[in-house]
Amino acid sequence: MSVNVPTNNKERCDFALEDLYNVYDPEVGLNVVDLGLIYQLDFNEEEKILDATMTLTTEFCPMGESITSDVTQSLTYSFPEWQIHVNLTFDPPWNYTMISPEGNKFLGR
Amino acid sequence: MMSPLMGGLQKTTNYRVVLPFYIYASVSFLVATVLLFLHTNIFEHHYFYPYTLAITHTLALGWGTMTILGASHQLLPVLVEGKLDSDALAYLTFIFTAIGIPVLIVGFYIFQTGWLMQTGASLVNIGVLFYVINVFSSSFKSKRRNVHAWYVITASLWLFSTTFFGLLLVFNFNNDILPEDSLSYLSIHAHLGLVGWFLLLVIGVGSRLIPMFLISKYTNPKGLWWIFGLINAGLVSFIVFKVWGLSPLSYYFSVALILIAIALFARHCIKAYKVRIRRNVDEQMKTALISVLQMLLPFVALIVVLALLPVDQHPNIVLLYGFCILLGWITAIILAMTFKTLPFIVWNKVYHKKAHKGKTPVPKELFSEKVYHAMLIVYLAGFVVFIFGIIFINEITLKTGAVALLAAAVLYVYNTGKTLFHQPKKL
Repeated sequence: MSVNVPTNNKERCDFALEDLYNVYDPEVGLNVVDLGLIYQLDFNEEEKILDATMTLTTEFCPMGESITSDVTQSLTYSFPEWQIHVNLTFDPPWNYTMISPEGNKFLGR
Repeated sequence: MMSPLMGGLQKTTNYRVVLPFYIYASVSFLVATVLLFLHTNIFEHHYFYPYTLAITHTLALGWGTMTILGASHQLLPVLVEGKLDSDALAYLTFIFTAIGIPVLIVGFYIFQTGWLMQTGASLVNIGVLFYVINVFSSSFKSKRRNVHAWYVITASLWLFSTTFFGLLLVFNFNNDILPEDSLSYLSIHAHLGLVGWFLLLVIGVGSRLIPMFLISKYTNPKGLWWIFGLINAGLVSFIVFKVWGLSPLSYYFSVALILIAIALFARHCIKAYKVRIRRNVDEQMKTALISVLQMLLPFVALIVVLALLPVDQHPNIVLLYGFCILLGWITAIILAMTFKTLPFIVWNKVYHKKAHKGKTPVPKELFSEKVYHAMLIVYLAGFVVFIFGIIFINEITLKTGAVALLAAAVLYVYNTGKTLFHQPKKL
């Protein structure tokens, strides 16, 4: 794993990312982590709330509903006792510099 | 424990709304190529001929329009940055057009200019009217309207103009409601549809989707507004020149405007391609990009038509022009875009909410790449052979080309069916 997602709990974040690596943008064929769609994962230990902040490659992505739903499902699978809040943001908008080196390699760049 | 998603997310159009259009269109493509095979002798006749009208409308309405109606219902949220306003209107659009189109085509085929053609044309118009209402209500409920939204809004109005004018032409067969006979207005009717509906919508959708699929950050709304203006100006000027009865030489002005628009769109695609993030471009995208260049072919044919006027002495060149558009770039772009959009719609239906169970197949695994490839080869071969057949009016060449196009349609239907009936893989 070479992606650094900002978090307040590195251990839990890595655990979440393990499953998120299996969530793919079906058009690109690349997982959401290497694509740079996951902006932040914050864990509220007291209230057992996971706040995931993510984006999409474009605001009106036709697969947006599917991708965000899959991220929610994946996090629920990783943390079944937790409340999962997926926050979709376009600030900052996604750009290609957010793709990981592995992602770039996959895209042939 | 899941909670609702926070932040704005566009709702995807219900697949039940979209899929019937795709199924209908694929059957229409097959029917059109069968008719083409059975009636290759139409190229020996004037273009105002029952079988020619039947085949043209099977391609233009059953194949082209129904595919584009399906795709545009699916893509409307992307284009207008809002949701499809009414599923019910979309279903009504399908029902009325799906019934109206074959009634109209049978009317042309047996050339029954009375109730049969009139009923078919009326039903098509009702269906299109529902579509226009849906496009307007979806667009104007959205907070903002970008250039792509104006393309689809304007194209929907041109579509209605085409079908409504077509309805007037049908009634004009038996009642003198227009100053001249229906044949005199045929080129206006055809260009309303080809330029106003197909060209404008394909460019509006393509300019949005091509950069999206290539993951290209290239945007140029100002350039797209120029293209929009040029196409509309070209179409309106052509209608005005035609109605005023000006010399056919004046049509060069309209042709020039539209040619510039197509050249600008080709430039737009090339720029988006050059700065793409995704280096590996799939077959479907390559075909779509080639079809942009194919847009120029009909204009080459048109320039030949204009240069060789009077038209009535060269009806086969007019047919060549129509063939290059309907079975040329419109078909090429549909062949490519079907396998870019349909697998996503089916994938969303089948694999939605299953990602956590393991790696799902990617959408392009829902159809056979080999069959897709074979389809493209026989289609291109058929297209080229058929062009030679039209130019030289050679029956054997025409039949050979028609067989290849029919084979392409069979492969298309096979792959569409394979996608539609995809069963979820165990994850």
